[in-house]
Amino acid sequence: MSDLAALTLAEAAHGLRRRELAAEDLLQACRRRIERWQPRINAFVDQEPRNSPRVGPLGGIPLAHKDMFYRAGRVSNCGSKIRKGWLAAETSAALERLDLAGALDIGTLNMSEFAYGPTGHNEHWGDCRNPWNPDYITGGSSSGSGAAVAARLVFGALGSDTGGSVRLPAAACGVTGLKTTWGRVSRHGAMPLSHSLDTIGPLARSAADCALLLGAIAGHDRRDPISSPEPVELAVDRPIGSLKIALSSAWIEGNADREIAAAVLAASRIFKNRVEVEPPDFDLLSAHCLVVMQAEASAQHAQWMRERQADYSSAVRVRLEAGFAIPAAQYLEVLRLRSAWLERFCATTLAGVDLYLLPAIAVPLPTRGETGPHGGPAMPKLLAGVTRLTRWVNYLGVPALVLPCGFDSRGLPIAMQLVGRPFAEGTLLAAGHAYQLETDWHRRLPAE
Amino acid sequence: MLAVQDVPLAAGRAERLALGVNALAVADPLRAALAFEVDATTYLLALSTNQ
Repeated sequence: MSDLAALTLAEAAHGLRRRELAAEDLLQACRRRIERWQPRINAFVDQEPRNSPRVGPLGGIPLAHKDMFYRAGRVSNCGSKIRKGWLAAETSAALERLDLAGALDIGTLNMSEFAYGPTGHNEHWGDCRNPWNPDYITGGSSSGSGAAVAARLVFGALGSDTGGSVRLPAAACGVTGLKTTWGRVSRHGAMPLSHSLDTIGPLARSAADCALLLGAIAGHDRRDPISSPEPVELAVDRPIGSLKIALSSAWIEGNADREIAAAVLAASRIFKNRVEVEPPDFDLLSAHCLVVMQAEASAQHAQWMRERQADYSSAVRVRLEAGFAIPAAQYLEVLRLRSAWLERFCATTLAGVDLYLLPAIAVPLPTRGETGPHGGPAMPKLLAGVTRLTRWVNYLGVPALVLPCGFDSRGLPIAMQLVGRPFAEGTLLAAGHAYQLETDWHRRLPAE
Repeated sequence: MLAVQDVPLAAGRAERLALGVNALAVADPLRAALAFEVDATTYLLALSTNQ
């Protein structure tokens, strides 16, 4: 492979600033890899450049984003048939900010239909396939973002995370993914799924890369009323000697796959100050997350569900049907309980510590066949296993970072997840960076 | 319930749908202590006070 495409975003940006690299060479390195990899993994939907080069901290860095971030006058298909060819009237806040930072936008990336699926299947645009083994799922819904970054087709990508959609593809594809605090990044001009849960975050090759991307996109935006003015701490190389990590080793050993448990517990030992705690009630909080997600997604899609139901895939249609059956009182009570659960998480799980560590996905990654349209009766259980450890984070609204921390005996990535207090992205990224200084899992590449 | 909302449902789907929705109605240990005055917007305050 080209040496340039093997660089991290931080290394490439540094090289460009010092004029040791040329932006055109970076772009060509990515283009060559796209040509080789796209037929195998179907990560891109469209490879047409979507902006013009300009000067900035990310000047000349090739990125591409999930096909749900609107750009004025350009198509956002949202992974769907219903929005196929739809032209956006305005540009999303996140893309505006990346444009201001000078990043190149070299195309749109595959995704689950309307970001409503955890695997990366897509019957309208073709399944996205895992670069480590195309028989296996990429994770979703930011499937193309995970696959494109893993195959080094781009230096980073935006995804959205409503129930795990940044973290699942990051974990399954062996890249670093940041689920931001609810409100950290403006959602203006990004396709909505569930307004109480939707967040936008980067997938990239390292925690330091995610920090650079977060620095560009975070901050208050008057067009998204819940966007926060909280400052972002981006110094990833600050000392973490005093950092305390909570984890639930017995729960991990008893509930995660053996190889996954071993890799995650080994990764935890990089952090010297560890505290054993009782795990949060993942399943209860996940159920609450699903109540909110299903009710809000179905309300968002109500008119199309009345008029164009046949244009949804069966998997998405079934999920949307469920939201119409959730009682309003149940939905609102779950939202009323949300602050109490956030307070409990911070006061118990995170009492006296900075972060909580657990696997990103606790079960062996399933194949595309096992979880696709013909997956059979075992499929609901497989999907529940894949999403078990991500949705609870969205219900609490807190940030989480997923980092590769090993490979299983099939050669597929294993990932850990660090979860922090609201707006603790800086602490998460510093911890992730410290881990990646000691390990090289994030530098491994899938074989061509 | 879906018919009232003008959302068509294929034959045989209602029963499976009910199973899934019922599975989400879980007992919550914090429910009993939830103050009467709390509404969904208090969550925004909780985000800023729990940093």
